Amino acid sequence: MEKLIKKFLYSLFTIVLAVSALFFIIRLAPGDPVEKILGAEASAIEISDLRAQLGLDQSLIRQYTNFMMNVLKGEFGESLFKKKTVSSLLSAHMPATVILAFTSISISAFIGTFLGIWAGFKNKKTFDNVGRIVSLFALSFPIFSLAPLLVLIFSIKLNILPVSEWGSFKHVILPTLTLVIPLSSVLMRVSRNKYLEEVNVPWVQVLEAKGLSSIQILLRVTKVCLPTILNVVAIQLSVVLAGTMITETIFDIPGMGMLLFEGIQNRDYPVVQGVIIYSTVIYMLVYFLVDYLNEMIDPRIKS
Amino acid sequence: MSKRSRINTEIKIGSLLLGTYFVWALSWFFYSYIFEGSFSAPYFPASDIKKELFSPLQEGYLLGTDLYGRSLFQVLSAGLFYSLGIGLTISFLSAGIGIVIGYLSVVGPKSVKAISELVTNLIFIFPSILIAILVMSLTGQSFSGLVFALVVTGWPGYARISRGETLRVMGLTYVESAKAIGVGPFRLFAKIVLPAILPFLLVHIVLGISGVIISEASLGFLGLGGSEYSWGALLSSAKTVLLEAPYMGVVLSLVMAGLIIGLNLVGDGLRDYLDPKS
Repeated sequence: MEKLIKKFLYSLFTIVLAVSALFFIIRLAPGDPVEKILGAEASAIEISDLRAQLGLDQSLIRQYTNFMMNVLKGEFGESLFKKKTVSSLLSAHMPATVILAFTSISISAFIGTFLGIWAGFKNKKTFDNVGRIVSLFALSFPIFSLAPLLVLIFSIKLNILPVSEWGSFKHVILPTLTLVIPLSSVLMRVSRNKYLEEVNVPWVQVLEAKGLSSIQILLRVTKVCLPTILNVVAIQLSVVLAGTMITETIFDIPGMGMLLFEGIQNRDYPVVQGVIIYSTVIYMLVYFLVDYLNEMIDPRIKS
Repeated sequence: MSKRSRINTEIKIGSLLLGTYFVWALSWFFYSYIFEGSFSAPYFPASDIKKELFSPLQEGYLLGTDLYGRSLFQVLSAGLFYSLGIGLTISFLSAGIGIVIGYLSVVGPKSVKAISELVTNLIFIFPSILIAILVMSLTGQSFSGLVFALVVTGWPGYARISRGETLRVMGLTYVESAKAIGVGPFRLFAKIVLPAILPFLLVHIVLGISGVIISEASLGFLGLGGSEYSWGALLSSAKTVLLEAPYMGVVLSLVMAGLIIGLNLVGDGLRDYLDPKS
């Protein structure tokens, strides 16, 4: 319990530090949102008026304390461009990304683990060799080259799936597939290697000597491999968050990635901060959950 | 088994692929900087708007032409030279920084340890491409900005591996003996620790190059690359003409995938080769 609290405090500390770093980096960098909103012809008075209205004329320290107080209250302020609060923008853009990220992560976790363990089980046989080659190829097509190829095949040549937009089930398939292919390949390779690492330890030999069937041994070894696989899934989540950004721009999906990308390009400070704080917190929570699950699965990790 | 015979098929095929790409990139370098142009004014693919979007093999263009009527083969070559250059530069820079910081976080004073751990964690929280995008949009689109963005996100990974490896090596008897006979810290690092940890790190450097090439292309795809010949930028323009000129996307993807496959094969093969268990 004490360890858990310590870890929680450390995570909190890192988040605060990350948010502060972000705050200063964005503001100290060249580029002015006020000039972007008003355009090049704006007069000096208009600029200073808007600046005062947005609170950008206050000292940096003042802005920082205000900002931190608001974050504690759960308010991220208002978008500089869209006349909406950041919270409402976040909740509007969240569903698409959450659906995309979690479907692709869970499908890949399932496929990757299953194929990987099976490949490890069939070490150096046909299935393993084919699996290694296929996963290597799948990993060599980055998301942004995979997506146009999939569009070319499924939307243009076969004409069975829509190219872009968002809404029905059919719209989800291609973007999800774009993320599932590389993710499941990574997981497949990790679980295969982990399985081969674990399968030669003495306790497995004891199980063999006791006469357990190979399927039952397989299940027990899989359980030991799960923590490593879950860790990789957690790490991959950050890849997915970034991957959705590219996927969302390709398939025109109104998600968090799109929001962040627009925010960065427009210097829309509140939006960028909101999205990043939000994804950092989710990321931390997932890490926490994974740590907890891993201890449940394999009690040896606790000690 | 002798070491020589353990060179596996992965390394062989991978090096063959990589070798081809290197020869290709070097030929382009000579063509662009020496034969057709000079170092002060290198040759870049000429654009001719009348020759827009030719399909492969049309009018002597091996791979066809792109949106601006440039030979796709030449554009690809320029992109290859750029990608390889940036991949190598960034990987070696980040590996260098990472190795030194990782080593210092083991042998250095406590403050170095704490700071490096904090910074590494901070950078690890964010998806690296987000940091890169942030840095790129702040520094503006330039070559130096790109190098900076990718080195910032690249070194913590190497630092972590280097730290782990240094910890392992420091416990070995010959390193302790070296310390016992009074080998200085610099000499210890350069002559004893570095040679011991470098082979394992090399695997990560090779795989890291393909990671950098992909990251750079992702940035290029989002319009934040360091050059108009970035494969990502080219793919992003190929995407807009997917209906009229599907060959462009296909050729680009295949050429890029070939290089990444080569790097991944060599990296994987090296890992197996260095693994004492196999």
